[in-house]
Amino acid sequence: MKDNRLLSRHFKPISLVAGACAAALALTVTGATSSVAAAKPLVIGVSLSLTGDFADPGNAVKKGYQLWVTHVNAKGGILGRKVTLKIVDDLSSPTQVVTNYTNLITRDKVDLVVGPFSSLLTVPASQVANRYKYAFIESAGGGPKVFAQNLTNLFFVQPGPIVKQGDVFADYILSLPAAQRPKTAAYPSLDDPFAQPVADTVRVRFEKAGITTVYNEIYPAETPDLTPIMAAVAATKPDVIVSGTQSLDAYQQVKALIQLKYNPKFLYMSNGANSPSEFPSKVGAANVNGIFSSGDWFTTSTAPGSQTFVKEYLAKFGGTAALIDNSSAEAYAAGQLIELIAQRTGKIDNATIIKSLHSGTWPTLLGTLSWDKYGVPQSQYLLVQWQNGALKSVFPTAVAQAKPILAKPVWP
Amino acid sequence: MHVLIQGLIMGVLTGGVYALMASGQTLIFGVMKVVNLAQGAFVIASAYLTFSLFTQFGIDPFVSILITTPLMFGIGMLAHWVFLRPLRKEDAVELSILVTFALALLVEGLLSVTYRTTYRSINNTYSNKAFLLGDGFSIPYVRLYGFFISIALLLVLYFVLQKTKFGRAIRATVQNPQSATLLGVDSTRVKAYGFGLGIATSAASGSIFGLLYPFNSGSHYDLISRLLSVVILGGLGSIGGAVFAGILIGVVSSVAAVVWSPTWSEMTFFIVLLLVLLFRPQGMFGRLERGAA
Repeated sequence: MKDNRLLSRHFKPISLVAGACAAALALTVTGATSSVAAAKPLVIGVSLSLTGDFADPGNAVKKGYQLWVTHVNAKGGILGRKVTLKIVDDLSSPTQVVTNYTNLITRDKVDLVVGPFSSLLTVPASQVANRYKYAFIESAGGGPKVFAQNLTNLFFVQPGPIVKQGDVFADYILSLPAAQRPKTAAYPSLDDPFAQPVADTVRVRFEKAGITTVYNEIYPAETPDLTPIMAAVAATKPDVIVSGTQSLDAYQQVKALIQLKYNPKFLYMSNGANSPSEFPSKVGAANVNGIFSSGDWFTTSTAPGSQTFVKEYLAKFGGTAALIDNSSAEAYAAGQLIELIAQRTGKIDNATIIKSLHSGTWPTLLGTLSWDKYGVPQSQYLLVQWQNGALKSVFPTAVAQAKPILAKPVWP
Repeated sequence: MHVLIQGLIMGVLTGGVYALMASGQTLIFGVMKVVNLAQGAFVIASAYLTFSLFTQFGIDPFVSILITTPLMFGIGMLAHWVFLRPLRKEDAVELSILVTFALALLVEGLLSVTYRTTYRSINNTYSNKAFLLGDGFSIPYVRLYGFFISIALLLVLYFVLQKTKFGRAIRATVQNPQSATLLGVDSTRVKAYGFGLGIATSAASGSIFGLLYPFNSGSHYDLISRLLSVVILGGLGSIGGAVFAGILIGVVSSVAAVVWSPTWSEMTFFIVLLLVLLFRPQGMFGRLERGAA
């Protein structure tokens, strides 16, 4: 005890000094550790189709992700962490995409992953993410097979599943007074899970409403020439043509209708006609007016972050607003969600993302989004129409930029 | 009945263009016994060239045929010299299938890098125009011009093969390469010219294809399967057979699409192809090899 007291007395000042030093050191170390933690970037991994069949839309998605990263880092990152993207090329291959996401998660140990381009790649990629309990926010895989997996880690960042695209056109037509509604309808559709079901959903609703079906045929994707098919459509003289299309066949249908000199009162195309950058150059800019399609975003949208996105996009990539691909906006919206989750919860990890997005509503540049338990978006697409060479939202009225043109102008 | 006649008109006009594409394919087979799987890729390459000449220099797609034809002839000669000439004679026929497929992939890759993979379309003042004939039958100008240009070029090809010394050399090589060589025909040179000529036919058909349909670098896959079908139906090596089968494929597909269903459109043609091959394995205008059953 004595020795102890002596020791204690003897060492008291030293202990104080040592304690102070230790405390100072501890503070320094703690401070350094916390600043290291703050500086540790938030790494988001993504596999994109930078080459191969989906190279163009894949690169558009890349621009959207890159733009959001630049945007969020300029604001100080996510919860003080700088955001870094790790992008790998999947060659548009559903096999390579599996390898890529497995490597991103297990080898590179990225903090989060976001989705690739197309449902074809999203299905296997989302399974990998699910296996490792990663959230899978994806902006370009909305086909039926994606949701049929019943994955609870997946969130499709568009207003609705692709097959519900045409609902807004049916809503619009059925909102018209009976005298203005079409009496007959034709449904020429591509044999494709993203195209034919859209037209078919509209057909069921139209038939219930008393609109007679005069043509309902599916053509294979390999059909080289749609002119004979559209000749058969024209021969039935439908008031409205509802085309379940992708891109190439949409262009071919329009060209064929022009050559056949058949002008329906209403022409709706599920896809292809909703691309401001591609459609006019493929069918001729003078021929687009009056054609309806569905969209989730347009350049003059006032949805949260939309105009900032347009401004930053043009500053970073140049070009004109009309040439911005929707895929870029959709990818940017995926980033907006990550940012919002961090703001609302003060955390950013996979479990938090999955839990957060399963409840509440989330404002993005695509509008306010929400999802069911399997990641199916619960909002509605916009009805867009070409007017004076520009693609404008025309329905629902609350978010419309312009009134719909009732009867399609004749081909010039 | 109206829609049937309309389908018939479209089928004949489109078939003429297929005939031109397939004539190059069958010529190459006739001269070299090469199944050229790159023919479709060269058609698409020509469509891209036409697109560039139109968008960059404002050259009309039909006028551009005058530029693209000699260019494609040269490219064909070069492709022969680089890829086909070095093949061992004993394996040349079999290996040429692999080599021309590789060539198709090479062309596709170069086009993808140069033009990206978005669809391109040539839209000029008349590309979507049509006039009405008789009881409201639509005749698109591009299809009509394309049909007549194809027929004119096929007649030129026929004249070259039948009436010129070069044509006689080609025909001699087709009929009996060894005898042709003994008679002083430089068969290596004739084969190079023959391959060049076959590829040159893709120039005009590419221009017309680009005016008719949007295309991208991968469009050649569908095209080559149809061209091979046309060539087999017509008879390998027979230009007349290619013309007949080209028009037949256009008509059968078109009429089936308007009368029955688009789903049957493609299948109907292949049913015709199978039936013909059952009764005439050499194709409609082909000849059986001496000694074959």
